[in-house]
Amino acid sequence: MSGYIEAGYVVALGTLATYAVSLVTRERAARHRLPPAPVAPQTTSSRAPDANKEAS
Amino acid sequence: MSRIETPPAAGSAVRVVGILALGGIAATVWLGLFVTPNAVDYADGTVRLLYIHPPLAWVMYVAYGMATLSSLLYLWPRTRHVRFDQLAGASAEVGVVFTGLTLVTGSIWGRTTWGVWWTWDPLLTTTALLFVLYLGYLALRNVPGDEETVARRSAIAGLIAFLDVPIVFFSVSWWRSLHQPPTVDLASRHLYVHGSMAWTLLLGFVSFTLAYAWLVVHRYRLARLRAREEQEGLETALAERWAEAVK
Repeated sequence: MSGYIEAGYVVALGTLATYAVSLVTRERAARHRLPPAPVAPQTTSSRAPDANKEAS
Repeated sequence: MSRIETPPAAGSAVRVVGILALGGIAATVWLGLFVTPNAVDYADGTVRLLYIHPPLAWVMYVAYGMATLSSLLYLWPRTRHVRFDQLAGASAEVGVVFTGLTLVTGSIWGRTTWGVWWTWDPLLTTTALLFVLYLGYLALRNVPGDEETVARRSAIAGLIAFLDVPIVFFSVSWWRSLHQPPTVDLASRHLYVHGSMAWTLLLGFVSFTLAYAWLVVHRYRLARLRAREEQEGLETALAERWAEAVK
């Protein structure tokens, strides 16, 4: 096999991998910069009393 | 201005898509480089670029198709939402990456079969034009302006850029070209490869499409996070100005 083929694979896959890593890194950094999203108030579900019963 | 929600972190479905894409691409590389036979009319194993070059080009079409669909949905008054603009931008950026890789792998293949890195062949020229058009589209997205104006002009620019896509696709049929006809001829439903070569090529198409989906989801989330960040900054600045005015 000529070196050209391997070079083609390395360039294509290396670029895609670098781009993927950069996206994940930038997404994490952006998420850290933002204040945490407000937690939705807990609703009383039908399972909650049962869970308490089991605990007691 | 509508409130932009912080997008949730990657869910299990996105992770599964990522893992499948990674596994699929690894299998394509292994099959393509070490298992599939060499074609008799290609010297020195250069046919092995077949397993990545057409799938990269296919994803390029998918990415620009998705960007165009999202732009249309943004321009259509009933479906107008900033999310479609962000999805169009995300898909176009991923498309530009795949177009660049299509050009590079094609250039390498051209060097080994035609003896030159580049020739002003209709397919190559129109693909290079497509690359430049969408680079311009991405640059236009970064030109400052209010959210709606930027989104509208980007959507229109996206539609104009897409006009080159059918020209690229049909260029090998419309003009005399050095480039071979498509390996998978959709019009006549003819496949120019068979056996393990066909299966490996199919795996390449599926794997790179999954990789595209994974990349677009992450790029779209990044766009939403940035929009949220900008909104937070604006709200903080406004609150500070109000506090100063009250004093």
